[in-house]
Amino acid sequence: MTGFRQFGTLIGLIAIMLFFTLRLPETFLTAGNLINISQQVAMLAVVAFTMTVVMVMNDFDLSVGSTASLAGIVAAVLFREHYPLWVGVVAALGMGVLGGLINGALVAYAGILPFVATLGTLTVFSGLAFYISDGATIFGRDIPKPFGDFARGGVAVAGLKVPYLTLVAVAVLLLVWSVLEHTTYGRRLYAIGGNVEAARLAGIRVAWLRLSAFAITGLGAAVAGLMYASRVASANPTQGSGLMLDAIAAVFLGMTMSREGEPRVLATLVGVLILGILNNGLTQMQVDSYVREMLVGSIVIAAVALSSFGRWR
Amino acid sequence: MTPGPLNAMHILEFSGLTKRYGAATVLNDVSITLQPGRVHALMGENGAGKSTLIKLLAGVVAADRMIVRKDDTDVLLRNPADAALAGFRVIHQELNLVPQLSVAENILLGRAMPQRFGLFIDWHALALRARQALAQLDIHGLDVTAQAGALSPGDRMLVKIASALVAAPGQTPCLYVLDEPTAALSQTESERLFNAIRKLKQSAAILYVSHRLAEVMTICDDVTVLRNGAQVYSAPIAQTSRDEIILHMTGRALTDSFPPRTTKTGAVVAQAANLASRGLSDLNFTLHQGEIMGVAGLAGSGQSEVLNLFMGLERPERGSLTLLNQPAPATPAEAWSRAVAFVPPERRSQGLALRMGARSNALSPHYRGIWANLAQETTRTAMLATRVNLKAANLEQSVWQLSGGNQQKVLFARAMAATPRLLLLDEPTRGVDIAARAEIYRLIRTLSAQGCAVLMASSDLTELMGLCDRIIVLQAGRQVQILTPHGLGTNDLLQACYATEHVLT
Repeated sequence: MTGFRQFGTLIGLIAIMLFFTLRLPETFLTAGNLINISQQVAMLAVVAFTMTVVMVMNDFDLSVGSTASLAGIVAAVLFREHYPLWVGVVAALGMGVLGGLINGALVAYAGILPFVATLGTLTVFSGLAFYISDGATIFGRDIPKPFGDFARGGVAVAGLKVPYLTLVAVAVLLLVWSVLEHTTYGRRLYAIGGNVEAARLAGIRVAWLRLSAFAITGLGAAVAGLMYASRVASANPTQGSGLMLDAIAAVFLGMTMSREGEPRVLATLVGVLILGILNNGLTQMQVDSYVREMLVGSIVIAAVALSSFGRWR
Repeated sequence: MTPGPLNAMHILEFSGLTKRYGAATVLNDVSITLQPGRVHALMGENGAGKSTLIKLLAGVVAADRMIVRKDDTDVLLRNPADAALAGFRVIHQELNLVPQLSVAENILLGRAMPQRFGLFIDWHALALRARQALAQLDIHGLDVTAQAGALSPGDRMLVKIASALVAAPGQTPCLYVLDEPTAALSQTESERLFNAIRKLKQSAAILYVSHRLAEVMTICDDVTVLRNGAQVYSAPIAQTSRDEIILHMTGRALTDSFPPRTTKTGAVVAQAANLASRGLSDLNFTLHQGEIMGVAGLAGSGQSEVLNLFMGLERPERGSLTLLNQPAPATPAEAWSRAVAFVPPERRSQGLALRMGARSNALSPHYRGIWANLAQETTRTAMLATRVNLKAANLEQSVWQLSGGNQQKVLFARAMAATPRLLLLDEPTRGVDIAARAEIYRLIRTLSAQGCAVLMASSDLTELMGLCDRIIVLQAGRQVQILTPHGLGTNDLLQACYATEHVLT
């Protein structure tokens, strides 16, 4: 029973892949499509991996979507003013870190619930993105060519082109995995998630750690925002807004796979893949996008419900 | 539908109580007779089957076999409603009141509230009925309009018992089951509870579950001991002794649960001079290497606050406080890094991450450097687990699955992991069974023998008298004396805790 509960989500992923393989025999299980999926989920993956860092402490960050949009806008506005490429990229990433620090300070030092604090900054960052872009999409000649080329480029491996976006997501995965599973920093985050009061009394600097973890999540959102802007070679103040719910859903799906329901970044990867593959397969089967949303939402609820039934039996 | 006479006295016979979970028999053919006027103690170590027995009586768990006879008529217990109808009232260990509601509302919670015009709550009648319930326990002067959350643990327990008294019509209570009611209470609060129990037993039978031998010997009339699910001993209290009961609980004689003192005290570790803070005053003490210093007082007299001074959780306002010739730590992080170890009073809410294993829990204050090394952590925890004699399936088993005693041992493993200079223990044996308690005493002694200074607050005065070299006695946050237990009895300490010389102006 325990085993089934823990691996239910993984079995679900395999079942979904089998289903699409049977329904789309020509197109689904091909190297090209799999690489395509990896590129499609790269942005979501980066946000979900770094979201895992705060969710380990039982916190979460609702502002990642608008942080991603804002980062793209910041870079694009600087590009339009003819600043060099690196200035735009660094400023966008700095923007993400700053946003994360603001979230962290509100949560850790002002003592505001993460839900309220990041709901507030979600609105502020989104408003800011509209304000500095005048609500318009920045595109065309304002975006330097190398910036747009990045998302289309890749590394040739065994005759296939592995996209840079995929590689960025893999790099972020390895980084977050190392931090959470192999550093004392990660151990402390899990201790906070286990029992925040006990962690504080055990001498863990809870406030500082929460602050820094939110900064990591903010940075991840900014990276995803830049990846998005590069992929469409344009920046729009709303283009990251879909990321937040999917990222949280991916972490929740992953949490069904761990023994005591704690987030693990490799499990988050499974969550990301489930969402990405569903999206890809259902699109190919020409399922209406509204129906797709209903399906995805139901699957997330079903997975989490099944796992909590198993836990409290 | 005719309710029995109001003061009906019923004799309750439970026989053949048996419960199996899969292959494990957790309760095997236990029989108890309970009658009004007598308090029957149920004792046994953690896991002996006490909780299962209570669950069977409460109708929460279905028995594999159980015969219940109330005055020679059979009673069927299939669910909690049956138990309530039979007049059984079970008061559980956890103090689950609704903190936002008033005392009166809590007492009548789940009952029909007195109403006006069938629409509004009649607050006046509500308060009256709550006061009546409390008066049945000889409690007067408790403000029934106060928020339940503001009450002391002792008052909360009394409110819970009062709420069990308020029965719906036709359900005259004939049995009260009290599950470790004094676990969170101080000595005086316990005394009030005992008075209430003496009052209660005039009209109903009482089954009293407790770890504390001293109180069982004073307030109970009969005792039944369970061990590994079997009934190993039953006798009237008048015909038995502490040693006899311990022998049956553990299956072996524990002649002295307090290991002998071997410690020689050394250099000064901590010192307080004319110290005052928000809740404390007149603190003057010196704590040496290898010394075990107790902190005693009535509940809420500032015992925890004295320990908290060294964790940076309580700030000194006047006077001086030093730890190893430096000012006291300002934060828990600084305290741990300066070799102060802390075992907090509430192990589940303040001590442990319940969903994590012994490894994560024991090492959380001790991570150093950037990289974590799982193999090293496991070796280190395994060594600590051996030292504290931890009984767990493995070091990753979630600690919520461990017994109270073993959870406490995990906290001791944490405290011992980095050779502490000062060990702060707040209620180190609360809710821990007798065998584990003796092991914890041995650990405290071992640490002090290694030169660690121990500052220990406890509401168990016997424990303080047995373990400590000296005891700081507090009254309302003020240090009134430092007592040397040698040659004194628990009564002397209790008397020192009551205000005598100090009258409020």
